[in-house]
Amino acid sequence: MKKIISMILVGGRGTRLGDITKTTAKPAVSFGAKYRLIDFTLSNISNSNIDVCGIVTQYEPFELMNYIGSGASWDLDYIDGGIRFLTPYSQAEDVLWQKGTAHAIKQYFRFIKDYQPEYILILSGDHIYKMDYNLMLKHHVAAKAEVTIAATTVNFKEASRFGILEINEKNQLTTFYEKPDNPVSNLASMGIYLFSYKALERVFFDDNDNQLIDFGRNIIPYCLNHNYDVSVYKFNDYWRDVGTVESLYRANMEMVEDPDFLGLNSSKNLPIFSKSLNLQPHAVLEGGSVTSSVIADGSLICGKVRHSTISYQVTVGKGSVVEDSVIFPNVTIGKNSVLKKVVIDKGVIIPDNYYIDAKKVVLITQNNLFEVGEVHE
Amino acid sequence: MSSLFLVVDATSSGNFAKLTRHRVPGAIPFGGKYRLIDFTLSNCKNSGINNVAIFPYGNYRSLSDHIGSGDRWDLSRRHDGIFILPPKNLSLTIESEISFQRMYEHSEYFYRSNQEYALVTPANMVWNVDYKDFLKIHLDNNSDITEVLSDMRKVLKTYIISKKLLLEYIENYDQIAFRNLSDVFDYAPGLKKHTIVIDTFSYNINSAKELYEANMQLLLPEVRQQLFLEERPIFSKETMSAPSRYGDFANVKNSIIASGAVIEGEVINSIIGRKVKIHYGAKVANSIIMNQSIIESDAVVEYSVFDKETKVLANSVVTGDEYEIFVSEKKQIVTSHQRLAILQLSAECYPFIKTGGLADVVGALAEEFSELGKKSQVMLPLYPQIKEKYNLLLELKVSNSVIYGNKKYRVNLYSVVNSNTVYYFVESYDFFDREKIYGYEDDGDRFAFFSVAALSFLDALEEKPDIIHIHDWHLGLLPLILKTRGLKIKTLMTIHNLEYQGVYDLSILEKVGINNPWQYTRLNKANFMEIGLNHATKISTVSETYKDELKYEYYSRNLVETINKRYRDFYGILNGIKKDIGPEDDLEIAMKYNLVNVFSAKKINKVDLQNKMGILEGNEFFVLGMVTRIVEQKGFEIIIPALHQILENSLIEFVILGTGDKLYLEQLRQLKERFPDRVSINLEYDATKPQYIYAGADAFLMPSRYEPCGIGQMVALKYGTIPIVRQTGGLNDTIENFDVSSKRGNGFKFFNYDTRDLVFQLNNAFNLFSNSKFDWQQIIINAMNSRFSLSDSARKYLELYQII
Repeated sequence: MKKIISMILVGGRGTRLGDITKTTAKPAVSFGAKYRLIDFTLSNISNSNIDVCGIVTQYEPFELMNYIGSGASWDLDYIDGGIRFLTPYSQAEDVLWQKGTAHAIKQYFRFIKDYQPEYILILSGDHIYKMDYNLMLKHHVAAKAEVTIAATTVNFKEASRFGILEINEKNQLTTFYEKPDNPVSNLASMGIYLFSYKALERVFFDDNDNQLIDFGRNIIPYCLNHNYDVSVYKFNDYWRDVGTVESLYRANMEMVEDPDFLGLNSSKNLPIFSKSLNLQPHAVLEGGSVTSSVIADGSLICGKVRHSTISYQVTVGKGSVVEDSVIFPNVTIGKNSVLKKVVIDKGVIIPDNYYIDAKKVVLITQNNLFEVGEVHE
Repeated sequence: MSSLFLVVDATSSGNFAKLTRHRVPGAIPFGGKYRLIDFTLSNCKNSGINNVAIFPYGNYRSLSDHIGSGDRWDLSRRHDGIFILPPKNLSLTIESEISFQRMYEHSEYFYRSNQEYALVTPANMVWNVDYKDFLKIHLDNNSDITEVLSDMRKVLKTYIISKKLLLEYIENYDQIAFRNLSDVFDYAPGLKKHTIVIDTFSYNINSAKELYEANMQLLLPEVRQQLFLEERPIFSKETMSAPSRYGDFANVKNSIIASGAVIEGEVINSIIGRKVKIHYGAKVANSIIMNQSIIESDAVVEYSVFDKETKVLANSVVTGDEYEIFVSEKKQIVTSHQRLAILQLSAECYPFIKTGGLADVVGALAEEFSELGKKSQVMLPLYPQIKEKYNLLLELKVSNSVIYGNKKYRVNLYSVVNSNTVYYFVESYDFFDREKIYGYEDDGDRFAFFSVAALSFLDALEEKPDIIHIHDWHLGLLPLILKTRGLKIKTLMTIHNLEYQGVYDLSILEKVGINNPWQYTRLNKANFMEIGLNHATKISTVSETYKDELKYEYYSRNLVETINKRYRDFYGILNGIKKDIGPEDDLEIAMKYNLVNVFSAKKINKVDLQNKMGILEGNEFFVLGMVTRIVEQKGFEIIIPALHQILENSLIEFVILGTGDKLYLEQLRQLKERFPDRVSINLEYDATKPQYIYAGADAFLMPSRYEPCGIGQMVALKYGTIPIVRQTGGLNDTIENFDVSSKRGNGFKFFNYDTRDLVFQLNNAFNLFSNSKFDWQQIIINAMNSRFSLSDSARKYLELYQII
């Protein structure tokens, strides 16, 4: 018996991230030099002392499964619980390919039932934030709610990317708009749901029309319509859902510019864990210089790096300049190249004398390399 | 399955000063994110070995914490895996290499291992090699024992041997002449031996200096290429830290920086560990900064090794130099601008009054402290000898009356200033106005009185001391008096010789004003040394090894419990010798010399010595010299039988200068009778002019049973006279055994206090002298290049004052 268990939904393809997610599930996308997006959620679970985590995967799970392994890097390798991968399977009667996030959870309800938890925490695997889920649970208990949704305020301009909430003075949900064209509020759902066990069971099994496919689109409206107690927990700290290349880039720059970004460089804070890859420390060699940047292990800097994030095992050749950029792992940059305002996908090899000074953020992959930039002889 | 198992030797303590106070050498951080043991364990994994035994010594918590279950190196296995085998017999002292006796304690492990061959290698190695290649060469050559040498032909204490043969040595450890595999390889007859010289970077790190050098080598691309191979990665414990962050004004050149570091200042040619913070305006050059250290704004750090969590305060300047790297202790707070006022209290101090080495040390430290910009003050009793000699310079500062017992005594304070150092003298007609400085029935009263009088003058000093440094038993009561009077001045007590403890009547404690004296004593006597050790803020002795040895009753006897109780506050700082000692400007010897003309000059000085001593003249003779007090401590129990044996070789001569115990003097006379042409005994100890022995002898014999520091061997080194010593105390810290294959080392040393081992090394030295002229010349060069200076000691004391 557990008090609370967590489920991470690793569903969507993340198509708006373009070629980055061609072979990588979105939660495995790299962020902030040494992290992958899922590190944040897994670390939050670990730091909140939740010891069961079901990861519901669907799309390109191999790299993600390989990365997470036993979960030991996040201290989540428990004998009684720990990390379990829940992948879609077909049942004898019919092929039940997961249709949506909620559907996947329903399919694995037996996993939940085994632990007889009082509460189920439903999370996304691709958000950047640091949160103590116990505070949300406290709120949930105090509000005597059946469902609690975590919410944060976003930019009005961006509000239509999110599920928008309207609440009353008791923080109870009154109206829910999934990705509205003309948002009436900027209080957005963070895609984090806390259910009391009984409520979730009722939602899934009292309803027989099998239309409850997605939490945002179906379940929350269903709960509202059927008079469940739906409470909203307001989260006021840093939180980003990086759905596009542009927002991924911006979050990286936010990290570069804020020395206290999520308290990562201070040992007083709860850590964000990441799987360490056994690399040597990075080196800045003669001729190299680095300012206002963040760099991961295993990199070799012989050129000039400014205002950028550099992931692990990146080489910056002599005479090259990297500015305002995000470099993914295993990128090799040749000599005397200039790269400004770009995101370079993992493993790309940039030739000598390559030049790109983008006005708007550009994603460079091995395929579009010569379309977006050019080699100066 | 591999047919190799690994014995990791983590038994030696090396010479890492403060870096090994909290860990064994194998657990010392290296290269920003590694620990030394990572290289050995990763080589294991990469060589497919999964049976490893680690033999640690001392404080191995940090090592076992780092290794964990061994799963990082695939060593958490159902069969075999990794074993940490601690010592069972804790009274064995630390040796430079794992002994068969130590392995015998866990012989069960060897019997249980299924593998046929053992690789024995130290925990403090940096290299990336495939151990299976070694085994293949061992088998191809059909050898009994294979030794591995580094790319610089340095001994790595790494051997391959069959389990069967190894077990023979282990089982018979008390019957054979060899203590360890190095002995076996160097001296065992009838074995087929092979040497592998590897061609990639390899380093056996045994000192803070070597740790620094090896780290610096990482900055060379070719070294990194040889050490970090894609197909054979170096694994380390998984840690969590953020990526490194560079500020807007960071300036980093040619450096290695581990994750989690925050760099806002300047870093040049350095290795920066995990989570180190270098603030804006700070400058770090040519340094090793270990995890979680903080360098505050505008601080300057050069040629330093900082242990974990060292903090350098803003605007401080911390600079070692290439020869003397500054080393900090874990969690030390370093600052240079602290104005430090020191008061040394001692019974003697050179140049004013001297009976032994203590005076030299106190005097030299006092001068060095002034040169290093600190307020250096010394206080002594005013003996009539001083009054006579310095009458014109002595300036009366103040007069006081001091209560001692039930009486009031009048005391005067005089001072002499000499190049910024202030020397104070306490005049008391009743206690110090006597012919000798020691040797009176009431010595206890005299020095107890000195403590009380000294404290009465604290306000009269030019600067009130931040620290009072007391030497030997004479001032032993002072820390307790300070405490009972509620004075909060920090004290350091240095043990120069534990033999003399100052045991006097309990009533002395009452006389200095301590109530309930019995709670500070045992056996109803006041033991000055014991009281001092119990109450000083920190305590120290005159070499690292002697400090280690004092843990054992064999060395510390009645004070073993006191010392063990205070062990966490106990430091070892090696004494040195004065700069002006040496053959270059020595007017007492036949021919002055230095490294340029040493070989020709030595011959002339030798003939001069033989001539003066009336023994057979000739360069073919191997002349053993001794300058010493002739007492049991100096090893005469083994020296005399050893000399009887070795002098049967008609090419060996023996010369001794000294005085002491009648028993040994008589035995030496008998030796002279037996070998009249080749032995010279000079029993008037004229300590001021022993140089003709230092200059004329080939080897200097000093096989002491124990030796806190020892000065003779350091002087001998300066004169290119090769010390043959027992591995104890300061002898162990100053003499490195000469190794023929790498041509390193400055002398000969042996471990067991017995005649056989001494004779063994005497023969070794003789053979090298007679048969390998070039090796002998090399060892002379190594000896004369050894560096032990009191200014290095002074710096270390200053570092220690600052962490008190």
